[in-house]
Amino acid sequence: MGMQGDFLQLLKEQGYQIGTSVPAGTEIEITRGTTILAMKYRDGVLVAGDRRATAGNMVMYDRTDKVLELDRHSVMAIAGVPATAYEMVRVLEHSFKYYRRTQLQDLSFEGKLRAVSKLLKDNVAAALAGTGAVAPIFAGYDFEQGSAKIYFYDILGAEFEGVEYAVSGSGSPTIRGILHYVNTWGGQPLAVLSEEEATIQALRLLTCAAEFDSATGGVNHEANLYPVVKLITERGLQTVPDTTLKSLFESRVTRKG
Amino acid sequence: MYEEPYRWVEAIGNRRQYLDEQLKQGSPVVALSYADGALLLTVSRGTPKLYEIYDRIGLGGIGHPADLEKLRFSLLEMAHLEGFNRSPSDVTGARMMKLGLAPIIKQAFEEIFKAPFIVKILLAELSLKPGKDTFLTIDYDGTFEETSGCAVLAATKTIEARMVGYLKQAGHAPTLSLDAALALAAKAWAVGSLAQAAETETDRKDEKESNTPVAKEPEDAALLAHLRETLADKTLEGAVLERQAPGSSKYRVLTREELASLVPKSAPAST
Repeated sequence: MGMQGDFLQLLKEQGYQIGTSVPAGTEIEITRGTTILAMKYRDGVLVAGDRRATAGNMVMYDRTDKVLELDRHSVMAIAGVPATAYEMVRVLEHSFKYYRRTQLQDLSFEGKLRAVSKLLKDNVAAALAGTGAVAPIFAGYDFEQGSAKIYFYDILGAEFEGVEYAVSGSGSPTIRGILHYVNTWGGQPLAVLSEEEATIQALRLLTCAAEFDSATGGVNHEANLYPVVKLITERGLQTVPDTTLKSLFESRVTRKG
Repeated sequence: MYEEPYRWVEAIGNRRQYLDEQLKQGSPVVALSYADGALLLTVSRGTPKLYEIYDRIGLGGIGHPADLEKLRFSLLEMAHLEGFNRSPSDVTGARMMKLGLAPIIKQAFEEIFKAPFIVKILLAELSLKPGKDTFLTIDYDGTFEETSGCAVLAATKTIEARMVGYLKQAGHAPTLSLDAALALAAKAWAVGSLAQAAETETDRKDEKESNTPVAKEPEDAALLAHLRETLADKTLEGAVLERQAPGSSKYRVLTREELASLVPKSAPAST
């Protein structure tokens, strides 16, 4: 099987299994990750996520990175149980590399989408048991079509294309409405926004999500903690530096006076 | 008939002869450190001879393509399982060589009822800090060695020594620019290739006594002329492991444009 460049199959041959279907105990609060969003802008796709991970009412961590690089042209943003999500990202990262190195060509965009679905499908038992539910967003540059694309998934592995944007996580209902409003009746549709304007929108949206969802970290200006914002274009992937986020937040997100 | 020990030794001897013969036509591989990483260079016909193994490890090989492919897959499998189960930092060139290649190659070489691997393999491993890159080479019998700075593969040990000698004498230093490193590697390749051609010639004439060490390697012009001649029906193949490359994978295949500067202008137009 290794010959076909299928890393997950190789892992399974070694006895590996993603997700365990142990039902969640009623006493245990499971750690979860929260608001993530992706939207198309002028040059490609912007993917952003807040930094908070919670377990019930407790904040587990305030520096979580939920927008994870799979390769130079794709990311997976995670919402749900981080333990399972990180594991999936690790499997995917190795799968894409293994495919490229064995087959001497990159896995197609379609192939990458299937790989995400397959992992979620293998994880269904854990998702339903409550110990491993993950609803990720996959975004990347599709070289065959010559455009950046967004896909989002439910916890069972169904794949949906986010034609203009996609959201996931507990804070997502809040910003989904805003995105629809801004995209339809705002000054201009999201798809024509510049890199800077798109980044400002992402910061504002995550701030809104944090306003109405206690499990979303939003922007913690005092502690100098900003969301993770990544941009995918034909040239590859780049992370918006914290200094840029800070200056945009101060000049365009906080209300003066 | 091989049950008797001396027969076995004899069979191994025959096997060496057979493998030496098979590898005689192989195109040498040159690997060396330069300012921004490690460079691999060879000339190939049809099938590539340079491959990406892991984030910081590249492979160069000479020999039978099917054998090379088999060993490449077993290395890839081992590297990726190890990198996934432990960490990418645990996938090192030395471990890949000692655990992944050497035992398989040695066993195949000594099991005289089975076919040996007709290969010689070089692994280049990019270090985190400049000047610490590791190069590992393994022969068809499973003996391997580790060097730093540079390493080569060629048909015989003598020719390999000449190529390394040439690299040292021509001023190889880990501070070279990519262009300078490429030019040097190409000339070292020509030294090896010419030496192999000369050896084949000597074999044909059966003049063993003329096989004395060469005092001086050919001039640059002769080396470049040989390279140009070879490239009429073969392709230059190069890859780099770049320390500053974004992301975790540092391996990159050099483009045709990057390699073009190596073939001097007087070459017949080949774009």
